[in-house]
Amino acid sequence: MENLKVNGIEKEFSAGRFPATLDELLKILAVDAATVVAELDGQIIERKDFAGTKLQKGQNIELVRFVPGG
Amino acid sequence: MTPIKTILAEKNLDGSGEFWRSELSKITKEAVEKALAAPQGTYSLGRLMTLVSPAAEDYLEQMAQMARRLTLQRFGRTIRLYAPLYLSNYCANDCLYCGFNRTSVFERKRLTIEQALAEADIIAAEGFRDILLVSSEDRDFINVDYLAALAAKLRQKFSFIAAEIYQLSPDEYAQLFNAGIEGVTLYQETYSRPAYQYYHPAGPKSDYDNRLTAPDSIAAAGMREVGLGVLLGLSDWRLETLALAEHAHYLIKHYWRSHISFSFPRLRPAHDVDSSQFKHLLSDKNLVQMLTALRLCFADAGLVLSTRERAELRNHLVGLGITKISAGSKTSPGGYSHEHPEPIVVQGEQFEVNDTRPPAEVATMLKSQGLEPVWKDWDSAFAETGAL
Amino acid sequence: MDELIIAGRKFKSRLLVGTGKFASPQVMAKALEASAAEIVTVALRRVDIENKNDDTLAAIDRTKYLLLPNTSGARDAQEAVRLAKLARAATGINWVKLEITPDPNYLLPDPIETLKAAEILIKDGFVVLPYINADPILARKLEDAGTATVMPLGSPIGSNQGLKTRAALEIIIEQANVPVVVDAGLGLPSHAAEAMEIGADAVLVNTAVATADDPCQMAIAFKLAVEAGRLAYNAGAGAVSKKASASSPLTGFLRDK
Repeated sequence: MENLKVNGIEKEFSAGRFPATLDELLKILAVDAATVVAELDGQIIERKDFAGTKLQKGQNIELVRFVPGG
Repeated sequence: MTPIKTILAEKNLDGSGEFWRSELSKITKEAVEKALAAPQGTYSLGRLMTLVSPAAEDYLEQMAQMARRLTLQRFGRTIRLYAPLYLSNYCANDCLYCGFNRTSVFERKRLTIEQALAEADIIAAEGFRDILLVSSEDRDFINVDYLAALAAKLRQKFSFIAAEIYQLSPDEYAQLFNAGIEGVTLYQETYSRPAYQYYHPAGPKSDYDNRLTAPDSIAAAGMREVGLGVLLGLSDWRLETLALAEHAHYLIKHYWRSHISFSFPRLRPAHDVDSSQFKHLLSDKNLVQMLTALRLCFADAGLVLSTRERAELRNHLVGLGITKISAGSKTSPGGYSHEHPEPIVVQGEQFEVNDTRPPAEVATMLKSQGLEPVWKDWDSAFAETGAL
Repeated sequence: MDELIIAGRKFKSRLLVGTGKFASPQVMAKALEASAAEIVTVALRRVDIENKNDDTLAAIDRTKYLLLPNTSGARDAQEAVRLAKLARAATGINWVKLEITPDPNYLLPDPIETLKAAEILIKDGFVVLPYINADPILARKLEDAGTATVMPLGSPIGSNQGLKTRAALEIIIEQANVPVVVDAGLGLPSHAAEAMEIGADAVLVNTAVATADDPCQMAIAFKLAVEAGRLAYNAGAGAVSKKASASSPLTGFLRDK
């Protein structure tokens, strides 16, 4: 089992199903990439780089989006 | 940030004044009543214009009452005392109204630091802890190093040291500030460019624009007190008051850590000065109107009165908004020690009619008016590390 | 109504609206439209990955509004700076409403962390609009640091109490050289009008519109109130009469000048 921490939650992926890129992770989670900002191990990843950003086990990912607020 | 010279130009406050004279003459008594009914203490050019207008002259008593009340609220029943220490009357300038101008012939005097300290001892013995170092434009001798050295020594006996001297550069003001001088007074003399050019034909002071930016440098250097003023009588006092107020308003907006004060040096008719050359001399009534109008627009400004004015007038003015006065002043270098006879010409004024009362007597007068004389307002020792 | 200028950008509307607390995205979108606001605030939150989520902001036409992200949720400067950078990465816009509220009970802004964060973000090229308590000195310090506005509160967020801080707001308005946007606590259109009458450059309203029975109508009411207040301010209202009460005359001495 290989893990990633996503928004504070440990996510486990069985062998062969670990997302290779950030883009793939978002697809697995069914999160629309167009409205999301991502941080990988504390670094902000531009949306255009989602497909090109490779993931490794144990990394910490924050997915953030705009929501209503005052 | 729009510079003050642009502000004055755009508002027509640096010229000969036809526009404003015309506007002022149109002010009605209804406009004055409306201006007086508005909450007092904050500035707008429109309201000040109404208060200095000819129409407002009939409302002087009301303005005086309001100015007094506002001053009491902000400053309490207190008034600060200070003494001037004249360091030199050598001068590089040629100001037409001033007896110290470089073409005047009289025995000039400048003090060494030791002599200045001896004067300061006498001043301190009278009770003063607030001293104003005054000098004409004697750059060679009364330079920044001299002033800094003198200030450093004076800090031991005075809790507030200010300077009223020729214009310095921003770095020089910073040097003075580091030496313990916390206030600088510098009068524009007149905001009218034509008048300024006429009265200051030569010397470093002849540059209007340069002079106008000095308070910016003073405030930027960290000076806590910035003193402004015009020499009343050089030009139309109503216009000068408007320009002076715009200058103060500009400084307050951009240098919020500095406190602004207004002084009211007034050209007086004198027996051997041809007063016909001064077309704009102020009456006492005009002075009261100017003073109360400024107070009603600047609730927190200092209003400073020197011993140039006669005693009876000062007795009345202290209750109308004045926050700081000098007493027992000697206006020639060495005057306190009587080392030299008094050359009685300062700034073109004769000292026949002025307040010569000793400080103790002035203090008694203040107390009789229900005002507490404050000799010492702040102890700079608090600001020094390790003082406590 | 004269234009509002923030960081060199011109706006016709002096009403800013928040997007939070609405019953649904559709209601929110209609209310925003009715308000004629040009700047709307949004927040940043973690995507809820456990549930299929709908993008509640999809209902906003982003070409019509300037989305102003706030850093709500941040409890210190570091968190706020991080949120600001995330927001910028999302939209490419470098405007941020700095909101640092460590106290969850009143949601009052932390002055020290706000100043710290403002300085960092301004150095990093952000246009910073700081939400603060009505503290005139803090406002001056933020302006000195280079913020594009100051946004003092009228009363705590969501309290609908109006201008409890009026006296301090008047001082801030008198002293500020940047636009003053009164933000938080405006519960009624009359509060917004009052803020504009005393000279505020704009107001920001959220709760009062979102939680009204009819948010669209309330949005219109606020829009009109802001316009009325600004027009009144520009028209120079006559003052309440205050007569001085003379005791003994102070200028009698002038008669014998």
